[in-house]
Amino acid sequence: MSVLEALPRDPLARIDQLAVRRGGRTVIEGVSLAVDPGEIVGVVGKNGCGKSTLLGCVAGVLAPRDGRITVDGASVWGARRERVAARRALGYVPEGADPPGFLLGGELWALCAASRGAGPPSAELRAALGLDELRATALERMSLGQRRRACLGAAFIGPPKLLVLDEPDNGLDAKRLDALVALVRAHAADGGACLLASHDAALLDQLGARVHAMPDRPAG
Amino acid sequence: MADAPEGSSQETQETRETRERPSAPPERPSAPPAGPPDRPSATGTTTTSLFVMAHVRWADVWTRAVILPAWRRAGAIWVGCAIAAALIFGPTGMHPEDLTGLALHHAGVGAALGVTWLLVYVPTARLLLRAEAAAYLRTLPGPRFAPLLIGGGAFVVGQLPWLALWVIGEGPRGLAVVALESLAILALASFRPPAAHAGWPRWKHDGEALRAIHLRALRRRAGDALVRGAGLAVLAGAAAGLFVRNNALTGQAAAAVGAAVIAVLLVPAYVGVLLVILGAHRQTAWLAETLGIAPGTRVAALVFAIAVVQLGASAIALAAAALVAEPDGRTLAWLAAVTLGCALGSSLGSARALLGSQASETVAARAVVGAIVVAAAAVLCLGLLGAAGAIALCAAGLGAALTARA
Repeated sequence: MSVLEALPRDPLARIDQLAVRRGGRTVIEGVSLAVDPGEIVGVVGKNGCGKSTLLGCVAGVLAPRDGRITVDGASVWGARRERVAARRALGYVPEGADPPGFLLGGELWALCAASRGAGPPSAELRAALGLDELRATALERMSLGQRRRACLGAAFIGPPKLLVLDEPDNGLDAKRLDALVALVRAHAADGGACLLASHDAALLDQLGARVHAMPDRPAG
Repeated sequence: MADAPEGSSQETQETRETRERPSAPPERPSAPPAGPPDRPSATGTTTTSLFVMAHVRWADVWTRAVILPAWRRAGAIWVGCAIAAALIFGPTGMHPEDLTGLALHHAGVGAALGVTWLLVYVPTARLLLRAEAAAYLRTLPGPRFAPLLIGGGAFVVGQLPWLALWVIGEGPRGLAVVALESLAILALASFRPPAAHAGWPRWKHDGEALRAIHLRALRRRAGDALVRGAGLAVLAGAAAGLFVRNNALTGQAAAAVGAAVIAVLLVPAYVGVLLVILGAHRQTAWLAETLGIAPGTRVAALVFAIAVVQLGASAIALAAAALVAEPDGRTLAWLAAVTLGCALGSSLGSARALLGSQASETVAARAVVGAIVVAAAAVLCLGLLGAAGAIALCAAGLGAALTARA
């Protein structure tokens, strides 16, 4: 092991003492987590324990009440410039995989590419997720699995340093699930990181993910 | 015309219903029995009465599934026609024969009138011809002639205001005009544009992408509302032209009066479309958040989409007003500058009103009120300041838009 490899690395994503309230109830209280470059972290826990909420906060979609989230050194909920830097360093697939239904698959990827200053999805990504057949299809006409593939394609464009994937295996067939595992592992091998929520222990095993168990929902 | 927003919301509801319903089609009626009638059945009912009952049931199902949704839309048009008739035949002292005579002898007025009805009625005709429920019902072993008869009758009845205008105005000659126009409506309603080949869009930055996405939402979600809006815009322009022409106005005075009339009458033309734009804005919210797109960029995209609609509608109204009023070059230039200026100011004001009400549960009603308030502000500015009121409206609109939160 070289000296450089032995040095402690800054985490790619850091969550410090996160607290979230939704609809007057505390959903997450005092959650801390760090994701290093090259690491895949699987968030597990009971239904309703706040896995999706945690990922939504990291992705910049749900505002936390307290705590701090940084991605690639920039605060997701900080000042405007930091927000932009942090959010452009992540790719998010929500649990519902519900981008605007009137958009075609190709248009969703073009929006993500324009925002990240990236090109279209690579040939490897298109082949792995079967994106070519979804390019001219409206998202509202797609099945859940197809929408999930379209959203995964959007999340991988760039690619961003951190992938935030909420139940990414939902609706995927065996072939695409294998492709997803290969893509995520390759992403981590290239120095990226992945934070994903899943109930599927086999998937987390296949990915070699470090498991972070969410505590039960706090009272009140 | 004031019902257009209702019609538009209805339209979206209908679209949603028809989209959600294909797997739950209307009650399947029993097919009419084949074979010779008049044979008594075991229960004593003749096969003739069974045959008639089956046809009646079939007609009932067809009417509920296909005709009623189309008539709901036609009802909105009727109310709009009643308001337009009150405006045209009320203060100007015109009679139906004056208008139809003008239309027959003045190509501009004729074209404006014909195109207006065409654009206003095509969405209703399209519902009668191409409703998803109708496509399903046609696959069932039901009678062929009855639906044709019911659909044809509904198509004619839906056009009653247009029919009344021409029959009262021109008698049998008017019937011929209505028949010709009906053929054009049927042709346009039956037309299916070929599916465009969707290439990979090359958007340079997020602002350009969001603007393009808002326009795509308009094209894909508000097609019928846009067509109807175009028809109402022609009507608004024709009314403005009549005001200018009958009052012999020229120059800045003509521009102020014409632009004020257009600003008010355009409200029903675009208010339904506003909700579609707001829908696109809300649906892209989480994507924009997670992609780090600035709130200002999102507001700018919304304003852009509204401005495209309002400037487009105003340009159509302007063309109709020019055809009807036949103004001199200077008056036309003033009218164009003031009308388009007002459209720009109204876009900014409408965007502010829309964003201010987006979190409300009564967003549709508030959008309508917002559009009416903006139109009233336009009339006020033009009334107080004349043609310069357009600049004041733009300044006020810009000030309002700058306070908007995405």
